[in-house]
Amino acid sequence: MVIDAYNAGLGERKAIYKYYAQAIPSAYAIDSDNCRQLGQGKKCGICAKVCPTGAIDYKQKEQMLDLEVGAVILSTGFHAFDPGRFDTYNYAGLPNVVTAMEFERLLSAGGPTSGHLMRPSELSLKADLAAAEKGLSKLHKQLKQLEGKYGKTTGEMYDTFQSAGKDDKDLRRWETLAEQATELENRLRDLKAKQETAHEPKKIAWLQCVGSREINQCDNGYCSGVCCMYAIKEAVIAKEHAKDGLEAAIFFMDMRTYGKEFEQYYNRAQESGIRFVRSRIHTVESVPENDNLRLGYVTESGDMVSEDFDMVVLSVGLESSPEMQDLAAALGIELDHYNFAATSSFAPVATSRPGVFVCGVLQGPKDIPLSVMEASAAAGAAASNLSSARHTLVKEKTFPEERDVRAEPPRIGVFVCNCGVNISSVVRVKEVVEYAKSLPNVVYVQENLFSCSQDAQDKLVEVIKEQDLNRVVVAACSPRTHEPLFQETLRNSALNKYLYEQANIRDQCSWVHAGDPDAATEKAKDLVRMSVSRAALIEPLPMPSVPVTASALIVGGGVAGMVSALTLAKQGFKSTIVEQKDRLGGHALKLKKTWKGEDVSEFLGKLVEEVKAEANIDVLLNAEIKDTSGFVGNFKTTVSSNGTESLKEIEHGVTILATGAHSIAPQEYFYGKSERVFRWHELDEAWDSDLVKNASSAVFIQCVGSREPQRPHCSKICCTFSVQKAVELKERNPDMDVYILYRDIRTYGEREDLYKEARRRGVIFVRFDTDHKPVVEQVEGGLQVTVIDHILRRPITLKADFATLASAIETRDIAGLAQQFKVPVSQDNFFLEVHMKLRPVDFATDGVFVCGLAHYPKPIDESIAQAQAAAARAATILAQKSIEVEGVVSTVDETLCRGCGKCVEVCPYGAPQLVEVAQDVHVSRIQEALCKGCGACAVACPTGAAAIRHFNDREVLTMVEAALCE
Amino acid sequence: MTAEFEPKIIAFCCNWCAYAGADLAGVSRIQYPPNIRVIRVMCSGRVSPDFILRAFQLGADGVLVSG
Amino acid sequence: MSKSSRGNGTIGAVLVVGGGIAGIQAALDLANSGYFVHLLEKGPAIGGGMAQLDKTFPTNECAM
Repeated sequence: MVIDAYNAGLGERKAIYKYYAQAIPSAYAIDSDNCRQLGQGKKCGICAKVCPTGAIDYKQKEQMLDLEVGAVILSTGFHAFDPGRFDTYNYAGLPNVVTAMEFERLLSAGGPTSGHLMRPSELSLKADLAAAEKGLSKLHKQLKQLEGKYGKTTGEMYDTFQSAGKDDKDLRRWETLAEQATELENRLRDLKAKQETAHEPKKIAWLQCVGSREINQCDNGYCSGVCCMYAIKEAVIAKEHAKDGLEAAIFFMDMRTYGKEFEQYYNRAQESGIRFVRSRIHTVESVPENDNLRLGYVTESGDMVSEDFDMVVLSVGLESSPEMQDLAAALGIELDHYNFAATSSFAPVATSRPGVFVCGVLQGPKDIPLSVMEASAAAGAAASNLSSARHTLVKEKTFPEERDVRAEPPRIGVFVCNCGVNISSVVRVKEVVEYAKSLPNVVYVQENLFSCSQDAQDKLVEVIKEQDLNRVVVAACSPRTHEPLFQETLRNSALNKYLYEQANIRDQCSWVHAGDPDAATEKAKDLVRMSVSRAALIEPLPMPSVPVTASALIVGGGVAGMVSALTLAKQGFKSTIVEQKDRLGGHALKLKKTWKGEDVSEFLGKLVEEVKAEANIDVLLNAEIKDTSGFVGNFKTTVSSNGTESLKEIEHGVTILATGAHSIAPQEYFYGKSERVFRWHELDEAWDSDLVKNASSAVFIQCVGSREPQRPHCSKICCTFSVQKAVELKERNPDMDVYILYRDIRTYGEREDLYKEARRRGVIFVRFDTDHKPVVEQVEGGLQVTVIDHILRRPITLKADFATLASAIETRDIAGLAQQFKVPVSQDNFFLEVHMKLRPVDFATDGVFVCGLAHYPKPIDESIAQAQAAAARAATILAQKSIEVEGVVSTVDETLCRGCGKCVEVCPYGAPQLVEVAQDVHVSRIQEALCKGCGACAVACPTGAAAIRHFNDREVLTMVEAALCE
Repeated sequence: MTAEFEPKIIAFCCNWCAYAGADLAGVSRIQYPPNIRVIRVMCSGRVSPDFILRAFQLGADGVLVSG
Repeated sequence: MSKSSRGNGTIGAVLVVGGGIAGIQAALDLANSGYFVHLLEKGPAIGGGMAQLDKTFPTNECAM
């Protein structure tokens, strides 16, 4: 057995293994280091002997491949910090101190405990006990035999041995065995004692910033940016898993829940009873009697507390891997001082070497959504230089012309799969095959070892032709994974792909009823009967293709809008930018520097010039969207521009929403009433004024309007902005008193360097909570700010020449646009993408994308990455000449439709439309490209006019009938 | 002695979530009683009350709509 | 690779190093916009760190 890296070392696997159950490719691999045949030079070869398809080839050798490519994208990811390097946490010595990744595996249904919350110290207890008992009984048996040979009791045997037996072979053997038995007895006693105290963990602590924001014991001065959120998530999920309740405590320095919906998740976690303790833990000690862990910490009020936990989870940070350093050296790309790839804020996925791009954590610590955005951005950036070679190396798939089978009676072929032994070890496949032969309309039945193998697919094409099949049923695994493969084979056999049906006799029979082969076999027969009855009714469906208008409409002419337009232009696609204001630039016009110190106005000037000079980009200023209609590849939008009444109609294949956001004008802290109170850019504007230049003290107030009940989201960029400005003030005048009044400092990622720099320069950070917000008063010659200091726990009064408010960032008037483009808006009023993790720039409506601050507040580098990502995602549509529309869509029988509009009401995608066919006579028509095939309209339709293809009433009900007919 | 009651259950599962959940149960080898027959639909919104009534009419002891 | 498979000496193929969630996304976007992709992964399966996660927030969905 080998330690299983997938399960973070908590489980074991064999030398031949599948990395994880759902692994892609879904194939076994041999770990040659641990293979007896390959790595250890021993004779084995068992896997080759038992493999039914002869897939094992011990002679495979490493090969050197030379690839010619136009660009390289590096996405090598991260290396989790190894806490074994610190002795303070005792990670190496104490089993119940685990890393967050280990805890993920302990929570996972596919992990070593099948998702049951269990402590590592007890993980192997059962197996260890069984092994010890078995070993002991074997030893006892051997001892009995020896004792029986001499006819002596154990005591007598011992005496014999003591007196004279030391040279006797039998007696020496008896001694060895007796010693082993004593040893095992002791072990068994220990294990049993352990079992007595074994319990599901009732109290778990998470320790934040392990290997992050740490320069004493390691050199990771940055914040890893993801640990606060994953710790909260693990605590929430662990509480769900715990049968009898779980006490969860998270020990942190600053809670950095700065992303979209993160703060709300944090609030819910607090409400659910998860304890958040602001303290950095430095030592974890063992409580030997029950394998518990003792944490010593200082509370905010200064008390020393010692508290015991059943388990401690170390929220380990993300590091650049050592391999990355070698790779960077080999490729000649620059790394920054933390060994992440060095990039500019204005080209966040471009490395120092042209043609080499990066995305994900190797560019800097980040979460999944930003990694995915950067991935698409890198694809867009890489493709920008290659568009002249687009489509030169990819082959378009062609299929033979489809045979029209509509007039033919059904001729069904059933293929029953063994899936190696996955199905056949439980389900009696031969019996299912015989049964299938007896079903109506079935003309051919075949048993396959692996239906999905290439030779089985080739055979399927032959059989369809030979047997003249016009419907195919495969009884095997899940259609979710394998239906597309078989459908493609049908198309290769000149059959419409919708003439296919799959019965899932593996995931629903053999794998879940392993102990009951009779019931599993009966159920498999039922599933095959249900599928066959459905197969007889299903029909070929058209898959119309619609041409694509190869241009984009971009709403918003800020940095995000312009970057997405340029990224598309470089790939040869036209776009129209619709900007509300009279100039391009958006809110970046107010920015001076990025957090890395780069000059924004210089960049912006060049960007605007580039956009204006680009032939592929049309810019409409003072423009407004009047109306939009259509679907992916074929949108039509009416725009008014430059104040004229004349409307312009634009045809476009995709839409990118980049309408940005703005900072609110606060109603508090004398904003607007005193010239000494600024927000954001106003400080930059007043930078050289006498007030700011001659000031001897300044105050920054954070979270003004953010993270409050009426606006719960974190505005993400304010901490970095204020900290950076504080540093600049200190640079100009080191004697100035600069205060930042904050709730949590959220200088995530490598921005933490700025925070360190601010503290080094003597910026004073004072934390407050929402119950005791700072009070600003106007006094003679300045401002007076009173805040309750969290350490002294009493009010302190600061004199300030000016105050800068980090006011909340929100969108303005996006509801109308959202309605026009049929896209949703989140609770905090930002555009809501289809999937927050995996599709961060896509909307559920195909062909519509989002980027920039309209998605969520973000710094300019992330806006640019997201804009490049939106362009890359848009390019996947624009690069196609036509789009094939899925066949599983709704239809309306207009003769039955009475135009009631129920279908329009229920459709989440806006696919049905009421059309006036005669005066006052309306019928519903489906725009097939918008329909996702959910069938809600068919259920809502009172007259039966709306129906859903492939899942019409008959096609579904026949399965119900077949299931229950016996 | 009469045989123990074995209910017949029809489950309408949404392809994107509940059916995927049944797949995950399989992949995770979670054992459950064999009394259930899954019918895959593209959305639980497709399941009209008629389907449920028809299932009961034909002798189903339970109907699960999951999505 | 024949000369005819290139346009103006530009090669319409991209090498993506690392098959985690970022590498997979980059590879898919490139392939879907008409470029040939070589996706390089040192392990026996793609998926990377995300495949080891149990659930993802804020929806607490299965990370798989």
